[in-house]
Amino acid sequence: MDNNDYKGSRILLVEDEETLAIGLEYNLQEEGYSVVRADDGRKALEYFRSYSFDLIVLDIMLPYYNGFEVARSIREKSPRLPILMLTARTEHKDRVLGLELGADDYLTKPFHLQELLARIKGMLRRKTWYNEASNVTPIYYFGNNEVNFDDLSCRSGARQFCLTSHEAMVLKYLVVNKGRIVSRKELLDKVWNVSTEMETRTVDNFIMRLRKYFEPDPSNPIFIKSVRIAGYIFTS
Amino acid sequence: MKKRRSQLFYLIVFIFAQLALFSLLGLWIFRYVFNHLNITQIEKDIASRVTTEGIDVIILICGCGLFAAIYLGMILIFRNLNIQLKIAKLYDNFIGNITHELKSPLASIQLYLDTMDNRDIPRSKQKEFIAMMRRDTNRLTGLVNSVLEITGLEQKRMLFECQVYNADSALRTVIDEARQQLKLPVDTVTIRGEVSLQFVADLNALKTVFRNLFDNAIKYSIDPVQIIINLKRNTKMIVIEFCDNGIGIPFPEQKKVFDKFHRIYNSNIPNVKGTGLGLYLVKEIVRHHGGKIELFSDGEYKGTTFRIKLPIFNVTRKRYLSSLLKITRLMRQRQEVNRG
Repeated sequence: MDNNDYKGSRILLVEDEETLAIGLEYNLQEEGYSVVRADDGRKALEYFRSYSFDLIVLDIMLPYYNGFEVARSIREKSPRLPILMLTARTEHKDRVLGLELGADDYLTKPFHLQELLARIKGMLRRKTWYNEASNVTPIYYFGNNEVNFDDLSCRSGARQFCLTSHEAMVLKYLVVNKGRIVSRKELLDKVWNVSTEMETRTVDNFIMRLRKYFEPDPSNPIFIKSVRIAGYIFTS
Repeated sequence: MKKRRSQLFYLIVFIFAQLALFSLLGLWIFRYVFNHLNITQIEKDIASRVTTEGIDVIILICGCGLFAAIYLGMILIFRNLNIQLKIAKLYDNFIGNITHELKSPLASIQLYLDTMDNRDIPRSKQKEFIAMMRRDTNRLTGLVNSVLEITGLEQKRMLFECQVYNADSALRTVIDEARQQLKLPVDTVTIRGEVSLQFVADLNALKTVFRNLFDNAIKYSIDPVQIIINLKRNTKMIVIEFCDNGIGIPFPEQKKVFDKFHRIYNSNIPNVKGTGLGLYLVKEIVRHHGGKIELFSDGEYKGTTFRIKLPIFNVTRKRYLSSLLKITRLMRQRQEVNRG
């Protein structure tokens, strides 16, 4: 397959179906990744606490703790670790719940190997992009707000709070593209690596949350403005 | 899709309906008594002209009868609705389980096919992958078969291979074949007792019964599985006791395990896959043989005993067993005609 710039990245593979897990482990190792396999939610959280990983491939229907619970626990400790949910559940509400709980991407079974590998690579690329962008300007000021893209802590006036990984990535993408209209599809593609139009509502939810955090009046935004039909634009 | 309402909602509706009905009855009685008092007052004036007492009593009795009928009907409808709601809820679980059970092996097969298509894989690895795909196809076949068996049984298309057999030898053969299908070593299953009696059975269906019981014993055991099967008889029935050393079944679950789509979750063995059809299928097959199945377990980690009772031929349920044999004969004749 293609050359891989992210060889050596450590992946935690959480899958309880033995045959599927063996096949995935083989393919990920063939791509040059270092893989640790967990077959239930309890082991997944144990490994997550004991070792460091660059990405997690997570099934939803798992023994002990399901994938949503695992994702929530991981997000509490590591807001920026990319999570790819891999599951037999195809309902729209599951996809939205997965994405809102902090999964970075969502792939339904059965899937194509090339698609899975492309998404993993995309997620590792975005993680690198985010880290590099944060290293240059880890703290960003606009209006009365201060955002630390490194530890995701924020201050708006006297109020202090933390962003989630996705909130930070959406804001970061808007900040990096300051003054340019960014469409919902572009955000989905770049931040979530999802190209369907089904989840554009998810983007709107994130934008609404960011406005609540940073805008003096969220119903009349001055930083994250809507551009009719086209998308959003960041100005400071 | 419209959201399904909860059982509580229907319970509240039922209680309000009861209140409405009783209020109506109260009003009706009040009106009757009030009118009666009025009539009593003017009775003297019109007594000579009108006699209503007999009619009033008939109306009262008819009213009470109708009221009782409405009340009974409401209770029956409510009970039925409750059962339907329970089945609908279990069916949702079943769909969730079966989606997972179908998609996971499919995903695995697709992954191995993609892998073999896209990579240069050494021969030994290829064999390993083919073995994995075979495991997944066997799993899919088992799943599809169990769904088809249930459908066949519910439409009474399954038991048409019934014949009279010697119970002892037939049961021993069927048990051994089921054991082999699940690759259980010989020394894990002990058969005790003897029942040299005749019974009517469809041996393939009975094999499905034992295969499901073995499968459950394997899935729900922490220690290496050990099964004892006692063959006994009472005056009318052949009694088969299937005892395992598994994790047992908690008391509240014991009544439900034979329900369609019902599954038990045990946190110590969380990875058990299934659809909740196995024991339902077992119960239905036994019932179609004119028998009964009961379950005994002293609770968690104390093993489980399934007691199956099948009628002895020419002793009990003679008419039913003859009808099973007749159906088999007819089905064979039909098959021969079709072949001819």
